[in-house]
Amino acid sequence: MHKTPKVNEVNEFIEIASDFEDPLEVIREALSNSYDAEATWVEIEIKQDDEGRNTLIIKDDGHGMDEQDLESFFDLGNSNKHDAIGYKGHGTKIYYKSDEIRVESVKDGNHIESVMEQPWETLNNHELPTYSIDTEETDETTGTRIEVHGFRAGQGFDPEQLTYNKIEHYIKWKTIGGSTAWHFDDDFHEFDIKVTLSPQIDDTRKPIETTNKLEFPDENLYPDGEFVAERMCKHFPPRELTVTLDDGRELTIEVVGMVGGKEARNELPTYGKHSAQFGIWLAKDHIKVERYNDAIGADNEFFHFFFVANCQSLELSANREKIRNKSGDVYQAITNELERFMTKVCQEEWYRDYIARRKLEDKKRSVQSQESSLQDRLVKTKEQGGLSPSNPAEVIAALERYSANGSPETVEIADFRMDEEVNAIVNTDDGYKNAALQAKLSDFFEDETPLTHIDRFICWKLGDLDALTKIERASYLGEPIRFDFSNNEVMYGDGDAKTIPILELADKV
Amino acid sequence: MVSFDVIAEAGEARRGQLQINDRALETPHLFPVVNFYGGGNEPALFGGGIHRTVKEFMVNHPPTTGGTDYSDLFGGVMTSISSLTDYGIREKKLEEYLDNEIREWGKFSDYDGMIFADSGGYKILKQGGELEGEDFTKDISQDKALDMQLDLGPDIVVNLDHPIHPDDEFEERIEKMEKTAVNARQLAERRDEVDGACYLTVHGYYEAMLERSFDAIEDELDRPIPEVFDGIALGSLVPRKDNVEVLIEAVSDCRLEMQQRGYNDLPLHVFGISGNAMPLLVAVGADTFDSASYLHQAINGKYCVNLFETVPVEEADFHACDCRICNDGLHRDRMRNRLDDLYQKDILGSVAAHNLAIQQRELRRFRQLIAEADEDQIAAYLEEAVKDQKGFRKFAYKLINERIKPYFDDDGETSYA
Repeated sequence: MHKTPKVNEVNEFIEIASDFEDPLEVIREALSNSYDAEATWVEIEIKQDDEGRNTLIIKDDGHGMDEQDLESFFDLGNSNKHDAIGYKGHGTKIYYKSDEIRVESVKDGNHIESVMEQPWETLNNHELPTYSIDTEETDETTGTRIEVHGFRAGQGFDPEQLTYNKIEHYIKWKTIGGSTAWHFDDDFHEFDIKVTLSPQIDDTRKPIETTNKLEFPDENLYPDGEFVAERMCKHFPPRELTVTLDDGRELTIEVVGMVGGKEARNELPTYGKHSAQFGIWLAKDHIKVERYNDAIGADNEFFHFFFVANCQSLELSANREKIRNKSGDVYQAITNELERFMTKVCQEEWYRDYIARRKLEDKKRSVQSQESSLQDRLVKTKEQGGLSPSNPAEVIAALERYSANGSPETVEIADFRMDEEVNAIVNTDDGYKNAALQAKLSDFFEDETPLTHIDRFICWKLGDLDALTKIERASYLGEPIRFDFSNNEVMYGDGDAKTIPILELADKV
Repeated sequence: MVSFDVIAEAGEARRGQLQINDRALETPHLFPVVNFYGGGNEPALFGGGIHRTVKEFMVNHPPTTGGTDYSDLFGGVMTSISSLTDYGIREKKLEEYLDNEIREWGKFSDYDGMIFADSGGYKILKQGGELEGEDFTKDISQDKALDMQLDLGPDIVVNLDHPIHPDDEFEERIEKMEKTAVNARQLAERRDEVDGACYLTVHGYYEAMLERSFDAIEDELDRPIPEVFDGIALGSLVPRKDNVEVLIEAVSDCRLEMQQRGYNDLPLHVFGISGNAMPLLVAVGADTFDSASYLHQAINGKYCVNLFETVPVEEADFHACDCRICNDGLHRDRMRNRLDDLYQKDILGSVAAHNLAIQQRELRRFRQLIAEADEDQIAAYLEEAVKDQKGFRKFAYKLINERIKPYFDDDGETSYA
């Protein structure tokens, strides 16, 4: 006996429609469909009423839809497109997350109108929604108009979330509107894109009017000026890389890109952090999908780069957000070749000049900030009337000054190691002594350093006397301790106590 | 009579012919390091183990080679006076070895390759300027080193040097360079005793350092370098052998320094470096190399797949290799340990010969490419060689981009494949 596996159609529709998480994906699908329909223009309008319900209107002058195309539009996995972006028949199912889908289209002298009522509610009632079809002859030019009412965009289309800038960025980074195909294809199919938001959503600027070409900022190889690295920009011309797999299959990777400083990159419709937008993008159908920044290698920072590597052999997830065949040899071969290519870019002379220039300018900035810091320090030094040590090195300077100005005893630094607990060996009238040298004596005790090998304390000031008294009243590392400030001594230990002289320099220099 | 003729050039790479008396050598060339005297007697080719097997390949000993002549792998070999005591020999033995020149021994009489006799400065310096045997130590001065070199009957000798180290303090480095310069002068004074080529050692990792090394020697000599010396040997690179960027800079700057001083017609030898860096160093002007890596890899059971990769010999796919050793059933059986009564020296001796064949094959290819004077082919060869070497290829790409042809021209035209 043979049985045929069943598909729960309602659940599949819900699954696929729900796969599209970002409501902006509706724009990507609309642009892809218009591109596939060979439109020369597409207009998208997003409106929101006072109750927060969204309406999407998508119009284009593509070749339109007939009844069979309409079936593909509403059916799941029944695309009649081959060699097109929407070959899977998944994309338009994003519209199902709405209260009504209305499609009007003109093709071959026929005007077709179709309405699907309450698709999302119907699916959630475990039923398949239906759609009406009315056809009449017309002399209108071809094209399609899709109106989606009550589109469930979550908060994605809320005025607080949605802006023209965000959409423009999305178009250039995530849709066919950011295509790099024109670098490779002489017959590139260019079309105009217009996106209008209702004033309730964004009234800060005019509607977006662009094309489906991703154009890099103008090249600016060696700008004049002192701080110019952020404006530097170079285009790396299109290349077709060919890779042969072990089984003889050939892959073609179309790569084009730019390297540039932040100001140059900001000439693109960037949105958010550059680290999330720049790098090496893998693309299919010239729509960017995921980044592969490992291609650049650890020696270089990826955000200087904006490269798009398109390969039609990449396989994508249903919502086109991820590459699916990452574990296969195709992906491996693509990434290997990209790594080689990007290594060459990184060895290119201009790029190395650019990186050197950035470094130089950083140094210059650091010199400028050094100047201002030095001025602050000078003012402070003048205020405090000269040397006021705050670290052991400055204490050494004070000690040298003390010795040079006729000190009653010899105390010369013979050896100094900053990171050692007993950081100095000093040459004195009684020979070499181990010394703890600190800006403040109290700092030494805060660190709970053992006193066993210390013969002398040398400090600028005694520091926090209350803290020292507190230690005296308790104990220090389990032993009694007494600070005799009048005689500048520390007595440490039970019975045969050890006496450690303190040299306080502040009142002597 | 010594001459070096550059036959063809491609960029900075050059193909040349080194003629020393009646022996000629095509460059770029790798001098495999051979230990002629390894503690034994003549019937055993003066020492056992893999060193003996290698020498049997060199002198075409049929029971070892299987009848095929592989001596061309040893068209020029490097040996060092410091290696004479590698096996802790007694003084009497040393004297016995040095009593005859290498080719005066019956076993070596048919060997007709060039012998480059190194002074072994690195090892001697490490041993405090002495050569240590089992029952003796000998102070090695420049004169003593030359005496011993000449006792070997060499085609090329080189002055006793004081190699520098990357960690040397500046003063220490200067002192070493000056000592090397004094030795160079002393060798120059005895130039007439050498019936072959005299090479001069220089040391440095970049131009300023090399400039100082050359200056020290020029100051010491009373004649221009090319009037005394027939080649320049760049030393002290072994401690930096894994940093190909440093190697490229050192060789390239040495070549530049030679050009500026008018010594460009002299061959440039690079001490102690072979393997993956070799093609890149040829591309920036190195003419000859020496190395024992083919042997050390074999001793460690490593079989070279190419210049970059080795695999344990048990895992090697001999059929994927086009070298003559791997195409010989006898050697495949040996390397696979499939014959009775095989010693390690038999198994690994064939591996060493294979490893050397791989390195010589690459240089042979390079010689052909240079002869065709086609820089594009050289770039393509280098690219192909490094294409799977992630950490390494950026240096090759940089070299190609800067010295052979830019990957991205300013006019947008591409030279990229």
